[in-house]
Amino acid sequence: MSDPVLLVLASLAEGDKHGYAMMEDIQRFAGVRLGPGTLYGAITRLEQRGWIRAVKSSEDRRQPYALTANGRRHLEEKLAGLNQIVKTAQTRLRHA
Amino acid sequence: MKHLARWLARLYPRDWRARYAREFELLLEDANLQWRDVLDVLWSALETRMNATPVGPRILNLASRDVPGGYELETEVEYPLEDGRVRQVRGFCREIDLGDSYVILNHWSRGGEPAQTVLIFGKKGEVDGDYRTYETEMLLLQIDGTVRRTEQTVKTYLKWDAIRAGLREKYRNGMQAGLTPDEIHRRIQTADHLPR
Repeated sequence: MSDPVLLVLASLAEGDKHGYAMMEDIQRFAGVRLGPGTLYGAITRLEQRGWIRAVKSSEDRRQPYALTANGRRHLEEKLAGLNQIVKTAQTRLRHA
Repeated sequence: MKHLARWLARLYPRDWRARYAREFELLLEDANLQWRDVLDVLWSALETRMNATPVGPRILNLASRDVPGGYELETEVEYPLEDGRVRQVRGFCREIDLGDSYVILNHWSRGGEPAQTVLIFGKKGEVDGDYRTYETEMLLLQIDGTVRRTEQTVKTYLKWDAIRAGLREKYRNGMQAGLTPDEIHRRIQTADHLPR
């Protein structure tokens, strides 16, 4: 599981974060260290698709991002698909 | 580290830099860069250059309201500048249809500059099929407190009425569906919706 787009969406599902906070969060929950270029490649694509949006930051110059309603919908659909794969694989392993 | 971050950010296309360079440099400064990160950025910059699409202005806020005889429009737009900074423009427009004439008030401010206000009064009259030509009077409320008055003949597309009505309808529907103004703007940009 190393799709940067999905990892960024999953990270923002918890709340607004700037780039470095996303990197740390993703490493914590997925054990994957996204490089800065990969991370911003994903952020660029996600923002272009309207799945995340930049939000105003009150504390510093770092730019936080938030999940949009469409982004949340996309994440839910992706996770439902992954869940189905996991369930199928587990069932097959039990019967193998 | 700042120099390396700046150098790495410069590898990206200009449009991308205008939108992301500032925050990307801060991330690079925070990230305690390793060699594999530098390679990751080099690869990502190359990929971005190959797939570059222009980054346009972002609509931060937009509100459209119907008022008796017309409508009001409030906008807050962020324009990327070439040096990587952004400029915010706040605007307010109110248009009132008086039947045989119309009044438009435009008021906007760019960044920290003093606001500009223009008051337009025009008489309607059809010329050239779907054009209407006006004797239009403009009052420019200038920054120094004086008012400049100009008169000119302006041709305005009648079609703009339909285009504006269509856009306002889409914004209204988008806001009701929980989309942000920028999401609505992007959808409108990618959809071939304008009447021809």
